[in-house]
Amino acid sequence: MNLYTAWLTAGESTGWFAEFTRTFEKCFIREDRYKLLLEGVGVTIKISLLAALLGLIIGFLIASCSLSKHKLLRFFGKVYTDVIRGTPSVTQLMIIYFVIFATVDLDKWIIAAIAFSINSGAYVAEIIRAGILSIDKGQTEAGRSLGLNGIQTMFYIVIPQAVKNIFPAMCNEFITLIKETAIVGYVGLMDIQKAGDFIKSATYLAFMPLIATAIIYFVMIKILTTLFGFLEKILRKSDIR
Amino acid sequence: MIKVNNLHKSFGKLNVLNGIDEHIKPGEVVVVIGPSGSGKSTFLRCLNLLEKPDKGEIYVDDQLINAPKVDVNKVRQKMGMVFQHFNLFPHLTVMRNIILAPMKLKKMPKEEALAKGRELLKTVGLSDKEKSYPVQLSGGQKQRIAIARSLAMEPEIMLFDEPTSALDPEMVGEVLDVMKNLAKSGMTMVVVTHEMGFAREVATRVIFMDGGVVLESGTPEEIFDHPQNPRTKLFLSKVL
Repeated sequence: MNLYTAWLTAGESTGWFAEFTRTFEKCFIREDRYKLLLEGVGVTIKISLLAALLGLIIGFLIASCSLSKHKLLRFFGKVYTDVIRGTPSVTQLMIIYFVIFATVDLDKWIIAAIAFSINSGAYVAEIIRAGILSIDKGQTEAGRSLGLNGIQTMFYIVIPQAVKNIFPAMCNEFITLIKETAIVGYVGLMDIQKAGDFIKSATYLAFMPLIATAIIYFVMIKILTTLFGFLEKILRKSDIR
Repeated sequence: MIKVNNLHKSFGKLNVLNGIDEHIKPGEVVVVIGPSGSGKSTFLRCLNLLEKPDKGEIYVDDQLINAPKVDVNKVRQKMGMVFQHFNLFPHLTVMRNIILAPMKLKKMPKEEALAKGRELLKTVGLSDKEKSYPVQLSGGQKQRIAIARSLAMEPEIMLFDEPTSALDPEMVGEVLDVMKNLAKSGMTMVVVTHEMGFAREVATRVIFMDGGVVLESGTPEEIFDHPQNPRTKLFLSKVL
C-alpha cells in the first residue's frame, strides 16, 4: 500500500501511516491541544528570559562579592554559591514558591522566574569570577598606572575583555536554564513540558506528546545557539589578524 | 621631583628593598641597572605605588604619596609607566588605547583627543596603525604604542620597566630611538634596563642596585669606566 492510498483511507485503515495520522489528530488537533503546547512555549520563554536577566544581575553582584577586598562579602559570596550548588533546583523552586513567596501576591510565572534566577545567579557568578580572573594582571596595572581608578579599570578594560572569554560559558548557562525550567510543573505552571505531560495523561498516549515536547525544546535551543554563534563572531573581531 | 627616603618592601619573607634613598631631579634620565632579583623593578613599581612600600617615604613634587588619604590616581596621572610586556588593551584599536585615559580622566573632547593621538602616533612613527588592533602589531610597534599611550596623559615623569626585554633583538633599536628622542625633549625618566649602550648614551645618571639597596650611583662614565664598588665591577664585567 503506498502513502497516497494510506492517506485516503486513513479513517478506517490500520496501516502505520494511518495510525500515525490518527494519533497525531488525537494528540494535537482534537480539543485544540496544540494550543496547550503553544502557550507552554510562551510560558517557558517568559520564565527563561526574566530568569536569565535577573540571574545575570544576581551573578554580577555575587561575583563582585566573591572578588571583593572585604572578607565578609567574600564569605557571603561563597556561602551563596555553596548553598545553591548544593541543593536541587526543584527543591529551591518549591521552597521559594511555597515558603518564601507563599503569601506574596505575584504572578506564578514571575515567582518561578525569581527562583530560577537565584539558582542561575550562583552559576553565572562563578562564570563571571573565572572570566575576570582570566584577564592578565598587567591589564589592570596598565589601567591603574594611567590613573584610572579600580572601577574604571574594571569597566573599561577588564570586563570588556572578560565578556569575550565568558560568552560561550554564559550561553551554555542560558541553555541549561531553559531546560531547567521544565520543572515548573511542580508549582502548577503549564510550560512546554507540562503541556506535553498533560496531553499524555488526557490521551493515554506517551510517544507523540513527549517526542513533540523534545522537538520543541530542541528547535528553540538550536535557534539560540545559532544566534549565539553569530554574536561570538562579532565579539572576536579584535582577534582577527 | 621624586624623593625617596629609606624605602623598604618585602614579599612575605623575601626582603626585596632594604632601604633606598634617592633623589630624582627634573629633566634627569636615571637608568637603573643590576642583576636579576636586585629589586630594580620593585623600586620602579613603588614609585607609582603599583607596589605598596612597607616602610619609608616617597615624595612626588613635594607631596608624600604613600600616606593614607592621598589620591593615588591623581598622582599616577603625573607618571607614565611602560611595561616589559607592553600591556596594550587588546580589545581596543591603537587609537582607542591612546585616547581612553585622556578622554575619561581629563574629559578631553574626542576631536581634541584624536588630534593629540595622531600627533603622538607621528612621533613614534606609527601613523598608519591608528585603526589596527594590538594583535596585528610587532613587539616593537606595540611598545612604541604603549609609550604613546602613556604620553597622552602628558606625564611629568616616565617610568620604564625593562621596556626592551621582551623584544626580538632587531626591534630593540626602534624602541630605544623613541626613548632617546623623549629624553632629548627634556622628559624626566627612570629606566630599568639591561641595555648598557642606551644607559651610556642617554642616561644623565646610572644607579647600580643589588640586594635591595643602591650600591653605586653616578654619571655613565663614572659607573661604566671607573666603577668603585667591587660588585658593580663584577656585574659590569659579566654584561659588557
